[in-house]
Amino acid sequence: MNKKILTIIILFFSITIYSQNKLPKNHSLTNLTCKTCHTCDVPTKKNPCLVPCPRSEMVTINQSPDQAPEVEVLKELSSRYMPVVFSHKLHAQMSQMSGGCGTCHHYNTVGPIQPCINCHETSRKRADISKPDLEAAYHRQCINCHREWSHSNDCTSCHALKNKNESISIASYVKKMTGKSHPALVEPKKIVYETNYNKGKIVTFFHNEHINLFGAKCIDCHRDENCTKCHDKNKTTNVQQIYSDVPIKIHKSKEEHHKPCFSCHQDDKCSLCHKDKSMAPFNHAISTGWALNRFHENLTCEKCHGSSTKFVKLNNDCNNCHKDFVAGKFDHKVTGLKLSENHKDLDCNECHKEKNFTKTPTCENCHDDKSFPKDKPGTEVNISSKKKK
Amino acid sequence: MEHFTKPSPVNKKFFTPGVLVLVLLALNGLIFLAGRLIFGIGAVTNLNNQYPWGIWIGIDVAAGVALAAGGFTTAALSHVIHKEQFHDILRPALLTAMLGYTFVALGVSIDIGRWYYIWHPLIMWNGNSALFEVGICVMMYLTVLYIEFLPVVTERFIGHVKLKSIFSFLNKPLDSLLRILDKGLSKVMFIFIILGVVLSTLHQSSLGTLMIIAGPKMHPLWQTPVLPLLFLLSAISVGFPMVIFESIIASRSLGLKTEMNLLSELGRMVPPILGIYLAFKIGDMVIRGTFVYLTEFNTASVMFVIEVLFGVIVPLRMFLSEAVLKSKPLLFIASALVIFGVLLNRINNFVVAYKPPYSYGPYFPSIGEISVTVGFISLLVLAYRFIVLNFPVISLPDKSFVPQSKFAIRGTQK
Amino acid sequence: MEKQNRRSFLKTSALIGAVATGISTKTANAKPKNILSEDRMGVLVDTTVCIGCRNCEWACKVAHNIPTEDRIKYEDRSVFKHMRRPQPNAYTVVNEYPNPKNAVLPTDVKVQCMHCDHPACVSACIVGAISKEENGSVIWDTKKCIGCRYCMVACPFQIPSFDYDKPLNPEIRKCDFCFERTKQGLLPACVKNCPVEALTYGPRNDLIKEARERIKRDPDRYLNHIYGETEAGGTSWLYLANQDFSKLAFPSPGDKPMPGTSESIQHGIFAYFVPPAFLYALLGGIMWITKKRNESK
Repeated sequence: MNKKILTIIILFFSITIYSQNKLPKNHSLTNLTCKTCHTCDVPTKKNPCLVPCPRSEMVTINQSPDQAPEVEVLKELSSRYMPVVFSHKLHAQMSQMSGGCGTCHHYNTVGPIQPCINCHETSRKRADISKPDLEAAYHRQCINCHREWSHSNDCTSCHALKNKNESISIASYVKKMTGKSHPALVEPKKIVYETNYNKGKIVTFFHNEHINLFGAKCIDCHRDENCTKCHDKNKTTNVQQIYSDVPIKIHKSKEEHHKPCFSCHQDDKCSLCHKDKSMAPFNHAISTGWALNRFHENLTCEKCHGSSTKFVKLNNDCNNCHKDFVAGKFDHKVTGLKLSENHKDLDCNECHKEKNFTKTPTCENCHDDKSFPKDKPGTEVNISSKKKK
Repeated sequence: MEHFTKPSPVNKKFFTPGVLVLVLLALNGLIFLAGRLIFGIGAVTNLNNQYPWGIWIGIDVAAGVALAAGGFTTAALSHVIHKEQFHDILRPALLTAMLGYTFVALGVSIDIGRWYYIWHPLIMWNGNSALFEVGICVMMYLTVLYIEFLPVVTERFIGHVKLKSIFSFLNKPLDSLLRILDKGLSKVMFIFIILGVVLSTLHQSSLGTLMIIAGPKMHPLWQTPVLPLLFLLSAISVGFPMVIFESIIASRSLGLKTEMNLLSELGRMVPPILGIYLAFKIGDMVIRGTFVYLTEFNTASVMFVIEVLFGVIVPLRMFLSEAVLKSKPLLFIASALVIFGVLLNRINNFVVAYKPPYSYGPYFPSIGEISVTVGFISLLVLAYRFIVLNFPVISLPDKSFVPQSKFAIRGTQK
Repeated sequence: MEKQNRRSFLKTSALIGAVATGISTKTANAKPKNILSEDRMGVLVDTTVCIGCRNCEWACKVAHNIPTEDRIKYEDRSVFKHMRRPQPNAYTVVNEYPNPKNAVLPTDVKVQCMHCDHPACVSACIVGAISKEENGSVIWDTKKCIGCRYCMVACPFQIPSFDYDKPLNPEIRKCDFCFERTKQGLLPACVKNCPVEALTYGPRNDLIKEARERIKRDPDRYLNHIYGETEAGGTSWLYLANQDFSKLAFPSPGDKPMPGTSESIQHGIFAYFVPPAFLYALLGGIMWITKKRNESK
């Protein structure tokens, strides 16, 4: 009898505890009703019927444009106008320059991409006024860029008027748009700015270095920009002027203009960028006193110096990165000198004093009558041919 | 040396060169008035959606009502307080008020877009509206004024109803009708006299309430919650100066002797009222701290200074001087200044102080508006002249002076 | 003894209270309309969303049977060179102002009647032709109107417009919040036709909540001010903007209802006709006394 009671009690507690564990903590802690997240009365694991947009926080995931559809036909609202044929891929590629998918898809769960109509109702007269209806949602996504681009609000740049031209076929539009890709971007190498800063009027910005060496992403600086930075219907793009050596003047406010730089350079002195004349490109030998050899010169900074926002200063010890560069394992051939059998297994220290590889190696430790450039501990090999390979 | 007077028609020719000028001005005004009726308000005036009210309201209506205040102030003086010596100026003042209000009514009806609906406020009421109150009171007061003036008409025609030819059979009944009217009226007249005073106080002050609702659209130098009181006080203070002004002009134009002792006595009553008005105006300015706007130099501050300095302070000082009260020209100038002050005050309140938020430019009355206003004033003067020449309005020395006959049954002489 | 007194006092006061409430409910019932009803409607205009397409202008004219040019003509942006104001043939207009945050995307502001909670025009109208309806609309009965234009003098937003060029039947005209359409359950024409839903139609209270939410969600985008929440005692139309409203040519009428002062003066002078009657009696008394004195002399 006692045993039975005990089992029941144990069973009761275990079940209670088990069920407690099953519920995520958030559910019990927050003041949510089921309806806040679930649309149906009995959500199951298979069909959780989650509300598509809790809206308390925007959730966005990024995919590459190539994963996305090439062309979308927006036809949910066509009444006065024909459906809109939207070149999704082109726009997605352009968005990679700035906000990515989130530029338009401001709310996406980790699941499949939500169509706008899931959250945005088609009727303008509705109880929930916290988000625009579908028509407004579409228009708001498109129209601001298009206004900046074309300087007009004309509807017909996206819509074809119905009934005027019956012959317009959507299929032909779709065909026309399919397969189009945004051309590869011509990136500027260097931009010279003329500023009002008295202690150094000229700022030279090496765009290529920031991308190729320092590991900056497009959106790090271009997040708040849109297509109209390059595209303007009224004028031909002024890329040539931007990319030339002639200093260009800045009309933005100080804060605004420094914003993209300060995400990395907030602790640097003004004089780092503000000079009296145009700067030379970054040179590792001049700036750090350590010339990069052919193995290092094509690496991004991150490879050795850690994260792209905060670079860590290194010493000359190759073992910082090359943990396996120890005697016997390092193939000295790559430096252009194949070590002879006698020297092959020597510790690096023996010739390279204090592991300082920039200084001339010494033979003093073993040989009294030999010195390096004259006498060599092995045979020279041609490295230029290797390089070509 | 007391002399006795009796109101009688003045025996003079209607047309003089001055009258011809007035006729021309009146005709000019009527031409523009026809333009307003045929082509609309926009064609004749400079009014627009920013400036809905111009001088037709500011001068024709607001200043008109204020300057016709002589009627109720003299009525109150001679009938309510029973200062009998002022009876002589009562009828001219009454006539001015009657004509003044008639032209106010005319001014309103041509300014409103649908003049043919002028009767609407009689049956469509909005007690919240200051304009409704002004409208109703003006309509009632106009009626009261006509009733008050009726004895002049009966006096003129009793015993003189002489219709020609086929209408001659009406002579007898008309005459007895006039006599009944005259008798009945004299018994109930006090009701209308008091009513006239009450109605005047009400709408003179409500005229000030009119612009309060415009709130920040009105310049703070004028916009104040005590505006109704200021309007009432200024209306009362302009009453006697208006009577003085009008008596001097009329006597000069009609070649009569000016009753200087009467006018000086009237003038002696002006400073207390004008002083109270000035005290309220300055006090209000100090309490609300609006004198800071006087340090700016713009139309509003200049107009305000002119209004208070030349319209109130200077004439106040003049009326306080015995020499001014005794001298006809100086008394005339002092009265004219008070009238000018009140006229300017109404223009300021309704036109200058009104600053709409989106004006494309300041409002200035068009030639059409000025012509119509001048035309109306000319018509008023002509009507005044016509009436005093034909009705017993102005008191003249009574040649057939018999003390008892002053109150004898009218229409029996000759 | 004292207790007894207090009790009877309580009784009488309760009785008076009951009578008073009875009277007050009676007067409340007698009131024809609850113009400040909880679910009166409004429109939230988000000027940061408006693109200045002027579709609302076109839709408004069509909805009110005002002759209009073709819709395509409304794409002309040169009209923005000068500020425009509502006219008898245009109840709503859009004006454009520079946007300090983006020179290429100017700020566009739709202008129409604000439909005040305490409308100055309703208080001012001499014949009571203008009325505030329970759904928030301020409408007018053109058959009553005499064309005195006092509503235009009173309006703090300078909205009513007048047919100055019509000699015979000029009308006061302004936005009527599409009273005829909303009565049938339709949206106001401008709201219906806004491509970006810069105009959100809903109960005014909800709109204020939503406006606050938008400001909270995006404080960089909005100035923390809902124009119309308190202006002129509150208006049915509410505005959000990214810059000071005075830069967008919005007047500052203060937070008090416009008719407040004038109505209290008006009702003070005419408190059930007691002051005028008293004045009448006073003057009559003076008249009688002075007459007596004169006669006794």
